[in-house]
Amino acid sequence: MSAWIVSTLKATSLSHFMIASTWMWPLCETLHFVGLTLLVGVVGMLDLRLLGRLRHLSYASVHSLIPWGILGFAINLVTGVLFFVGAPEQYIDNVAWWYKLAFLAIAGLNVLYFETTQARRALAIGAGDDTPRAFKIIGAVSVVSWFMVLYWGRMLPFIGTAF
Amino acid sequence: MTNFFAALEQLPLSTWLRESDSIWAYPTMLTLHTIGLALLVGASAALNLRVLGRGQAIALADLRPLFRWMWVGFWINALSGVVLLAADATTKAAAPMFLIKLGLVAIGVVVMTAQRREVFAPAASVTPTARALATVSLGIWFVAIAAGRLMAYPGLFFGL
Repeated sequence: MSAWIVSTLKATSLSHFMIASTWMWPLCETLHFVGLTLLVGVVGMLDLRLLGRLRHLSYASVHSLIPWGILGFAINLVTGVLFFVGAPEQYIDNVAWWYKLAFLAIAGLNVLYFETTQARRALAIGAGDDTPRAFKIIGAVSVVSWFMVLYWGRMLPFIGTAF
Repeated sequence: MTNFFAALEQLPLSTWLRESDSIWAYPTMLTLHTIGLALLVGASAALNLRVLGRGQAIALADLRPLFRWMWVGFWINALSGVVLLAADATTKAAAPMFLIKLGLVAIGVVVMTAQRREVFAPAASVTPTARALATVSLGIWFVAIAAGRLMAYPGLFFGL
């Protein structure tokens, strides 16, 4: 299965381009780091607010920065897919990559649950209000899982063979 | 100066960092450097976006705590950066891209300090200077990140 995925992707012209171009890889890496800072900046502030920190701010006001966090995530999704298409053999059997995806899934499910069931309650949190325990747990899960996404991403070249 | 970097490279810590297979050596230092980057530039980007008129529901004065996170990120990276430099001091110190990156980070930190005075001055609204500083800050961090990445590709950027 993984051999088939690798050979299919490597046969695409996009994959050839990623590898043949001197510029694409470092450019995408730079953008991947820029996306990461946007994501951590915005999601980090939201998580701190859920944890009951940055209490001067209403949750809704911090939430208004969300499009920039989504932009950061989108940049990283696109560049991440480009890395995978370019050199799938580096990732598909790499345990660090699978951990990264697993924590990405946890972070994603956490935010999905929160935004679909708790959004209204959250937007009612005004300046100076403490947050309920459930929100603190969700904030903590978010901080830890995004940190693990970053950690396992950084470990890719050291545990497996990715560059 | 070359002697100094050669001596730095021979320190037991540097040798360990360079040669150890331990996950706690080079990989951990790089991870710390990435976390510091995320805290410093992430908090800075959030402030800059607000100064430039995004997320206007946030009262600017309430973003003061972000500076603490920026400094935490800065110090994590200053320390992990020194350790990473020590591991390959002679090579890195001679690399043009490393010196460019150091210069950019220095400018970024100067801008950050200036922002604290300008943004939280008791003015009624965001001053043109504050907007200019925020724009420069976003640009400088972007270029500094690019320079850091390009250190892994010596010679790629116009031979640098």
